[in-house]
Amino acid sequence: MSKIKAENVNVYYGSKQALFDVSIDIAEKEVTALIGPSGCGKSTFLRCLNRMNDVIDICRVEGSIKMDNLELNSRKLDVVRLRENVGMVFQKPNPFPKTIYENVAYGPTIHGIAQSKEEMDQIVETSLKKAALWNEVKDRLDEIGTGLSGGQQQRLCIARAISVSPEVILMDEPCSALDPIATAQIEELIDDLKKEVTIVIVTHSMSQAARVSQKTGFFHLGKLIEFGSTDKIFKNPDKQQTQDYITGRFG
Amino acid sequence: MNLILVTFIILLAFTSYYFGRKKALVIQSSQRLTALPKFYGYYLAAWCAAPALIIFALWSVFEPSIVKTFILQDYTDQNLTKNELQLIYTKVKALAAGTYTGNITNFLDESANKYIQLKGIANSAKVAIILAILIFSLSFAYRSVQKNDRMREPVEIFLKWVLFVASLGAVLVTIGIVFSLLFEAIRFFQAVKIFDFIFGTHWYPAKTFVRDGQPDPELMKDAFGAVPLFAGTFFIAFIAMCVAIPIGLLSGIYLSEYAGRGVRKYAKPIIEILAGIPTVVYGFFAALTVGPFVKEIGNAMGLEVSAESALAAGAVMGVMIIPFISSLSDDVMTAVPQNLRDGSYAMGATKSETVKKVIFPAALPGIVGSILLAVSRAVGETMIVVMASGLAANLTMNPLESTSTITAQIVVILIGDQQFGDPKTQSAFALGISLFIVTLLLNVIALSVVKKYREKYE
Repeated sequence: MSKIKAENVNVYYGSKQALFDVSIDIAEKEVTALIGPSGCGKSTFLRCLNRMNDVIDICRVEGSIKMDNLELNSRKLDVVRLRENVGMVFQKPNPFPKTIYENVAYGPTIHGIAQSKEEMDQIVETSLKKAALWNEVKDRLDEIGTGLSGGQQQRLCIARAISVSPEVILMDEPCSALDPIATAQIEELIDDLKKEVTIVIVTHSMSQAARVSQKTGFFHLGKLIEFGSTDKIFKNPDKQQTQDYITGRFG
Repeated sequence: MNLILVTFIILLAFTSYYFGRKKALVIQSSQRLTALPKFYGYYLAAWCAAPALIIFALWSVFEPSIVKTFILQDYTDQNLTKNELQLIYTKVKALAAGTYTGNITNFLDESANKYIQLKGIANSAKVAIILAILIFSLSFAYRSVQKNDRMREPVEIFLKWVLFVASLGAVLVTIGIVFSLLFEAIRFFQAVKIFDFIFGTHWYPAKTFVRDGQPDPELMKDAFGAVPLFAGTFFIAFIAMCVAIPIGLLSGIYLSEYAGRGVRKYAKPIIEILAGIPTVVYGFFAALTVGPFVKEIGNAMGLEVSAESALAAGAVMGVMIIPFISSLSDDVMTAVPQNLRDGSYAMGATKSETVKKVIFPAALPGIVGSILLAVSRAVGETMIVVMASGLAANLTMNPLESTSTITAQIVVILIGDQQFGDPKTQSAFALGISLFIVTLLLNVIALSVVKKYREKYE
């Protein structure tokens, strides 16, 4: 079932066009990986899905992006509501310089989700458990989040993202700043999370895309070259360009 | 004469730089250089200028006192006091310069001639010695260049010493100022008990004035109570901060988070211009515009307002301080990493929520630092208070009355006639050192807070 449907998306940074006519169907409760060489536009596309490009003054997005028939690329859209529904995890772990508890409680607080202290405690605990971090931090929730290790910080950011029960989580190279063990933990987590949420992950690592995703899209120079099931993309791609990239002939 | 000599040394140094470099290029044709050609030039120039200038400086420092000793030798048998000798020497100098108008005695005339003669000898000796040193040090350096000795290390060591002397000078001057404050303050505290100074509530130093002899110790006890001044200082600074903190912080937040690039580019320098206005301009603005305005409004409301009010001075001082706070807090908030903003926006936070819950707390130590720096600036501000808040040291917490500050009282004490050794004059040093301690403490706290903040993000 389709969760997000993008049609003919063009993105411009000033006069420079970064994405050309990208159309893609992102299925519900699956992991969709976006791969491609640096600067190919995969992160730009990801940021269209929760309107993070709004933050960049010179960025302009054209085309239609629908999530459950709601047009995302519309002036009338309530961006705050959208981002409550579409969480995001960034390349570099970016916990707030607050306590671990406050980091996770941030979203529920600003959206007024919890009615009482007990409810908030419950949300924080569940989110940290889902992010596989609870056992490591349950005794030190009042310590500063930035004091954790890189992998723990990234899981804290995932806990923060899932604290508001989003339907979609966008991940922008979530493991590129982490060591292999932390990466494995995050990948395991992604596998668990996809039971409940739709995940779109941008990654540089093709092996990661192959491990965690069901669908893969290959971007090159701002164009979506090929999109299909991960199995097909990695074993028997239609396009020569995809084949070349997968086998490491360029990129 | 001195000017010509110094110009000559400096010109010679420049010439020797080019000469040294050229020589290096000649050497290059036959053997490998030990450093870049310019180092040969620096080496020669340093050897040319440094010894000659050092000797010149030492000579200029010691020559006058040596000449003075020679002149006053003739007067040792007359049993004169130090002051009388000084007076004679001044007369001799004036006579030699042709500006003496008094009674010329034979003895004085003789001394003046001797003075002119001594000066002449000293000048010729100075020129001769410096020329000799120039020749000696240049030929020594030139021989080194010719031998193609290592050039880079001596030049680097020389530069290191130049830098060291410069910073040593700065430190020594600072220490000297602090000690001169301290010594005068100690002498003041010999006349006035430190307890009376710190806890006394009555400041009226004019009262201790007596024409001859020592003032009455009973009067002294009640004339130098600094409490009204400290209270006035902090009261006016408090009023200033009430104006500056809200406006400064809000405009800082606007500039860093809300303003577009174009607005920020122009608005920030304009606000910073406020910091560049001379304080005396603020002073008469406070005295002539704001003061009467406050008085008029107060009178219209049926309040009794003095024309020189703490409110007027404090408000204008606050305006002066706004750029400190807005500019510094803008800087620290802009320095908060973009990925924290992204993290907050991605959670669906609005701009104001992001500012309130993420940016502001993250930048808080830096903001506190900027506020403390602004407070120390407010505490040390003089001109506005002198002009707009009056000089009477009232102990009051009414912003509509006039009150005075430490800095303003120092001005009052030290303008016009004053006598060294008088407790009234010395009290300025006691006030000065207490002000110095207060601002020093504020600065130390501010800098350590800012430093702590830096460690967190870098």
